[in-house]
Amino acid sequence: MKDKSITIKGWLFASPYLIYTVVFFLIPVIGALFLTVTDWNMMSPDIKFVNLDNFISAVKSPEVQAAFIVSYKFMAIILPTTLILSVGQAMLINSLPKYKNVFLVGYFLPYLASGVAIALVIKGVLAYNSVVNVWLRSIGIAIDWFNHPIFTPLVIAFMITWKFSAYYILIIISGLESIPKEIYEAAKIDGAKSWTTFWKITVPMLYPALYTIVILTSGWMFSIFGEPYLLSRGGPGYGTYTWQLSIYFNAFQRLSAGYASAVAIIAAIVTFASVLIIKRLARGWGRKYGWE
Amino acid sequence: MNKINVKRYGAFLLVLLMGFSIALTGCGAKITSSDAKATGGTIENSAVSFEFWSAPNPTQDKFWKGMAEEYMKQNPNVKIKVSSIPEKPSSEAAIQAAIAAKSAPAASENIMRSFAATLYQSKAIVPLNKIDGWDKLVETRKMADSVKPWKLSDGNQYVMPIYNNAMQFGWRMDLLKEAGITEVPKTYSQVIEAGKKIKAKYPDKFLWASQDLGRADDWWTRWFDFLMLYDAATGGKTDFIEGTKLVADDKAALEVLTFLSELQKNNLLLPSQATDPFETGLGAFATVGPWSLPTWKEKYPDLLSNVELTLPPVPDSVNPADSKTFADAKGIVIYASVPEEQQKAAWEFIKWVFSNPDNDLKWLQETNLPPARDDTATNPAFKDFFDQNPALKKFAEAIPNSIPPMDNDKIVDLQTIMGREGVVPVVNGQKDPETAWKDMKKALQDALAK
Repeated sequence: MKDKSITIKGWLFASPYLIYTVVFFLIPVIGALFLTVTDWNMMSPDIKFVNLDNFISAVKSPEVQAAFIVSYKFMAIILPTTLILSVGQAMLINSLPKYKNVFLVGYFLPYLASGVAIALVIKGVLAYNSVVNVWLRSIGIAIDWFNHPIFTPLVIAFMITWKFSAYYILIIISGLESIPKEIYEAAKIDGAKSWTTFWKITVPMLYPALYTIVILTSGWMFSIFGEPYLLSRGGPGYGTYTWQLSIYFNAFQRLSAGYASAVAIIAAIVTFASVLIIKRLARGWGRKYGWE
Repeated sequence: MNKINVKRYGAFLLVLLMGFSIALTGCGAKITSSDAKATGGTIENSAVSFEFWSAPNPTQDKFWKGMAEEYMKQNPNVKIKVSSIPEKPSSEAAIQAAIAAKSAPAASENIMRSFAATLYQSKAIVPLNKIDGWDKLVETRKMADSVKPWKLSDGNQYVMPIYNNAMQFGWRMDLLKEAGITEVPKTYSQVIEAGKKIKAKYPDKFLWASQDLGRADDWWTRWFDFLMLYDAATGGKTDFIEGTKLVADDKAALEVLTFLSELQKNNLLLPSQATDPFETGLGAFATVGPWSLPTWKEKYPDLLSNVELTLPPVPDSVNPADSKTFADAKGIVIYASVPEEQQKAAWEFIKWVFSNPDNDLKWLQETNLPPARDDTATNPAFKDFFDQNPALKKFAEAIPNSIPPMDNDKIVDLQTIMGREGVVPVVNGQKDPETAWKDMKKALQDALAK
């Protein structure tokens, strides 16, 4: 009888989350799965079933193929830069003799800034007729920042890196603070140089923090929307065309709910598979240092 | 004890679920005539109540709220709730979601021809010409010609057009004069010549600086470059897409792309992000809608006196007097999903608003958007307004020369294709005009055949 009471209590305490999940996750997912096999625009009383046509068209479409590549392109740029920046900045802050918290708050601010506001500022700063570009042209450098196959993805990657490294600094700092000082002292006594200490002690000991960052960043690469939407609309060509842009344009401009749902399901599968692979790779690296 | 606990927690769970359900129900709350009777208070005596969605634009919202208030004073048995169409993610998507959730209003404005086609094919709107009083309203509002292009493929009239922005091209006369040109260029060769002279005088400036030229996924931007020029090149004689067929005039379409290509080759185009390129004089030529004028007045008060508004330039073989332009026009629809009594009440309200030219004048004063009437430029009711706002008169005068958007529900795909296969690669110098037109035509035909 006591067990039953405990079970009921457990369900009750879990119920807010369960209800939330059912209403805002499970029901929408079932709805989306239904939409994927129809060409319904959610307005017409006539619903035509199209079997897997939406998935087939999505896989064949250049925009979905572009979204697939662009996600990995962003991951290849953003993941290492975010790691380097957040670890570097965190170590810098951690080494400060005082006012550590003031700097920590200062570095955290970009994460709190609105993505839209940042995009608008970047848009103004890098506009063709901005002071920056007028000066660059005066020294012979003419770059079309928002219509260039290399610089446009780099600008977007810079914005995301800047914002997220601000958040990851906190995770790294807490990781750094959890490394016992004695280990560094022992290494010093053994004559280890700071470079060796960094690679042989700091980085392996930061594994839990780095693992979290790698997984969060990898997942985020499949959810990029605001920056390319505001700055490049996925261009030039399909150079910055992400999964979320494809879902948005199809769902809310073309009003093709079925097709957009199919793209969303494909995006979810790709995200899940990619994160799973990255997770395994990261765990493999952790095991080398005795984690897990 | 355990039983008591179970009961207590069970009750807690029920209250939680109920609260959740009430909260969710509240999200979709909507006024209906039965609700009105039941809730009492201010709408207790309403015989009928309905919702009207205005465009997500403060001036339009203000106009409709004012109209509804006045109408309700005269018709105390009618309750109208005016609210703006939720703009996010887009007004079309908001209407789609409302229809799907069975919470559509009785009527809404801000409907363009192509979206009306989607709504009509989804059986979501009612034919206005089948409601009593349509013919009389067409006659009273003097809009027999203005409503014609709004007929949909079944021959019915589902949209009551409210305004028509006959788009113009603006020229910076100060730049033209400084380059030694005194008259506005009207043909392609004159435009290119003017561009070359401006470039010679100011190597850092461009003829046409607009980020929209380089964007394919902003499908609507094709209205303001390719289609405007196409309408002018054909003199409005040949549609681009008619229903579900590509009927474009090959010669005119190719001439437009060749014109863009020539501008690109002469370094006269800037398809990049720039802050107010026309207003700051980075470009000498730009598409202008009436909505630009209040911004200019506020941010660039001297600009308007330097700008000459004209219809789009034409190929050398076409008489500039035959130039036509794109009509950025929108109207009102009545939704099929609301009870007939609400549809009728909404129609009575619409009829009341548009039977009086003073209301069109009020609309013009508050929104600066020219009413979709055949006599907007000549009706004495608007004379004083246009005398005080001569730039807006240009838009009103051009209404008879304007062509509304296509009535194809695949407009987003079709205009995205125009950008991806035609305009954007030509503007970026990646395709020659012949290849661009061939690719664009094929892709459009494939999309239309689906």
